[in-house]
Amino acid sequence: MKLARRKFLRVGASTVALIAAAGCDRMPRELRALLSLPPRPDGPFQPPAQASIDFVTHVLNRTAFGARPGDYEKVRKLGATPEEAARAYLSLQLHPDKIDDADAQYAVRRFETLNEPLGELFEYQDDLLHHELMRGALTRAVLSERQLYEVMVQFWSDHFNIDPSKGDCKWLKVADDREVIRKHALGKFPDLLRASALSPAMLWYLDGRVNRRENLADKPNENYARELLELHTLGVHGGYTQKDVMEVARCLTGWTVRSLGERPNFQIGKVEFKPQQHDFGAKEFLGQRIVAAPPRLSLEKRKQVGQHELERVLEIVTHHPSTAQHLGAKLCRHFIADDPPANAVTSVAAVFSQTGGDITATLRALFDTDEFRAQRGNKFKRPFDFVASALRATGARTDASLEIIDYLLRMGHAPFNYPTPEGYPDKAAPWMGTLLWRWNFAVALSENRIKGTHVEVETLRANAGGDAGLMSHLLGRKATNDEAQAYHGSGAGLALLLASPAFQWC
Amino acid sequence: MAEVQSLVTGNGDDQRTLVVIFLRGGADGLNMVAPLQDDGYHNARPRIAITKSKAVALDGFYGLNPLLKDLEPLYRDGSLAIIHAVGSEDSTRSHFEAQDLMEHGGITGGGWLARFLRAQATAAAGPLAAVALGSSVPECLRGAPAVTVFQSLDDFSLGNPRSRLTESLGRLYGLRSDDLGRAGRYTLEAVGHIDRLRGQKYHAANGAEYGADNFSTGLMQIARLIKARVGLQAASIDVKGWDSHFGQSTVMDPLMARLAKALSAFCRDLGGELERTTVVAMTEFGRRVAENSAFGTDHGRGSVMFVLGGGAQGGRVLGKWPGLTRDVLDGPGDLPVTTNYRNVLAPILERHGGAGVLEQTFPEFVFEPVRLFA
Repeated sequence: MKLARRKFLRVGASTVALIAAAGCDRMPRELRALLSLPPRPDGPFQPPAQASIDFVTHVLNRTAFGARPGDYEKVRKLGATPEEAARAYLSLQLHPDKIDDADAQYAVRRFETLNEPLGELFEYQDDLLHHELMRGALTRAVLSERQLYEVMVQFWSDHFNIDPSKGDCKWLKVADDREVIRKHALGKFPDLLRASALSPAMLWYLDGRVNRRENLADKPNENYARELLELHTLGVHGGYTQKDVMEVARCLTGWTVRSLGERPNFQIGKVEFKPQQHDFGAKEFLGQRIVAAPPRLSLEKRKQVGQHELERVLEIVTHHPSTAQHLGAKLCRHFIADDPPANAVTSVAAVFSQTGGDITATLRALFDTDEFRAQRGNKFKRPFDFVASALRATGARTDASLEIIDYLLRMGHAPFNYPTPEGYPDKAAPWMGTLLWRWNFAVALSENRIKGTHVEVETLRANAGGDAGLMSHLLGRKATNDEAQAYHGSGAGLALLLASPAFQWC
Repeated sequence: MAEVQSLVTGNGDDQRTLVVIFLRGGADGLNMVAPLQDDGYHNARPRIAITKSKAVALDGFYGLNPLLKDLEPLYRDGSLAIIHAVGSEDSTRSHFEAQDLMEHGGITGGGWLARFLRAQATAAAGPLAAVALGSSVPECLRGAPAVTVFQSLDDFSLGNPRSRLTESLGRLYGLRSDDLGRAGRYTLEAVGHIDRLRGQKYHAANGAEYGADNFSTGLMQIARLIKARVGLQAASIDVKGWDSHFGQSTVMDPLMARLAKALSAFCRDLGGELERTTVVAMTEFGRRVAENSAFGTDHGRGSVMFVLGGGAQGGRVLGKWPGLTRDVLDGPGDLPVTTNYRNVLAPILERHGGAGVLEQTFPEFVFEPVRLFA
């Protein structure tokens, strides 16, 4: 790591500021975070007591990375019935800005690079950036009170997947994560799409930066145009043709990003439109026409045309009915079932369309569907969700070390490691081969063999009210007789619960 | 080795193994096995074509990319057959659609390799009948009776022997009749088998030298399982990163060198065992014939397949060459597919699985098998 002197000064200054700002009541929280202590008070808690998963547990499983000790009880108290309580909880979660999240924010402060402005990122070694991205994501998933928001960050990270190992994405993905994905995760889809289209990392990853047509012999690079239609908006069966892809690519020619090695250095990562690389001819795609620009326009006018064509493309694809359908189906696959129920998709897609892609309103509609209410415990946790939910359920204190990240890599689901643009699969089947590593993780976690991560097993068991309580807490319901027998016979109760079939589902 | 053999419940000594290599990202067959005598090729790629002087001449028409030169001896001794202008019927030019269609073998449930395994007469497939090197189950093995995903034999462990925990897990997973139940039972069995293999250091035979990259070490693990005779029927391994839109040679050169070196080591290591092992390498589609402005190529159609070992009659480039004139090119200017990839797999699957496996592996496909065998 290249650590400039001014960074030392900044670290020093923030420590001083912290100490100065820390009143008596704030000190414990900051100290807790500093020492990687669990955010929860360590007292006794009431786990779920019924024989099957109730709506509160369902919502904690599905819209969060699982319940921590005490979460069930806390949420359950928000309403007279589990239904009412869970609805109240979801209403809060849909407005993350109103949720105090100081613990998580404090914990990720140690990942200093995540807050560096775009230009500064190039001062760091790429490995460090990648590590901090992964560790930051896991830390937030485990600690954040804004759980639904973090779930949606994961969802959009897959939807607009960028593999940071490609070219300048090694540096630029940090900015994309912060200024595209996290900024708009519960905002408006058109804003998110636009931010992604002009994200330096995306221009690198899908070759938009080399999509140019300086003369008629140049063939535009179709990569981004294709994924824009196939993955980001209409979906592969959304009714576009190869011709549409080529025409969209033409509309987007000339948008590029300053690369490492280009002078001047301070402009690396800057997105710009180069009129001389743009194809100003007439285009037609998805039934819409874009007229040719008149010849001999001023530079200023030509820049306006380029900007306008980009906006037109995004507007047309955003409002295409296939986009609402595609997004509706993907959201329902994530939150309801691998094969998303058609009724739910229709109502979610309708709200997406009516609200112009308002993500919060769309999610509210999804959570209101009968299908969301009914389909419980049928989504197979992907490895990241398994690991995050295990750390949460056990109340582990963790520094999200590279040792834990390595488990995720083995299971093929470390964040920011998926090579191709479609993002990690959101269905059970591709993950069935990961059991061995889940079990290994369960054993290592419960035996405190992961450096930097610690579980107070006996305290957890006592706080849950003994073996029966611990089982209910981990399973989200009373254990069956078979589960109880296996638990007692295993000689490693906590590991058995984490490795059990039931804990693999949410 | 006899000791190992007695410890596992493989399918016996004559078990044939099919190794499927997927070159992900759309590998450019035209620059791997270049049609040197086709002027259309050189005209369309003024800056990136493989020139006649650089290529390793194979026959009077095709030449091997110099970075694949490690494959030349295998071609000369007849172990390696190449099929050109091969691909699938998918014309979306989408990586994911094309890979899906190729790995599923059409619009149908599950992967073709999985259906092939299910179709085999030898119903008692051992727990190590199918392995995937890497971190996730590839689509071609989706729905397999059992599949184990791993990167190294050392991956298979729950630490110390912990019979009470594994017994309890066995009980819970045994209660389920769904995919997860199967995956759990299978994982427990595999752990037991591999525990016995692990601990013995592996020495490649015949002076074979594997590289340190994942693909090389993956092939070495497969060779190890083949030689240990654990009943391995199919192994799947990927080489990713062939999507050469930009700066094609910087993208493809290291991959080709790695591919050729690893295959060469694998064949040498297997020695006589190569007779009952067939290696097939395929990709979802080839690249556009014409280079683009960024010294790269965009998504196209036809590409090449490589078939190694298994008694195939190599030393030949098979498949009908359609020419590269404007009137024969597909869509935006792509090498047309003159041989469907299923017709390359067909003779291999019959040889490995016996008569009758084809219909179950690729339902509703009308075969015109390539004559791979004498």
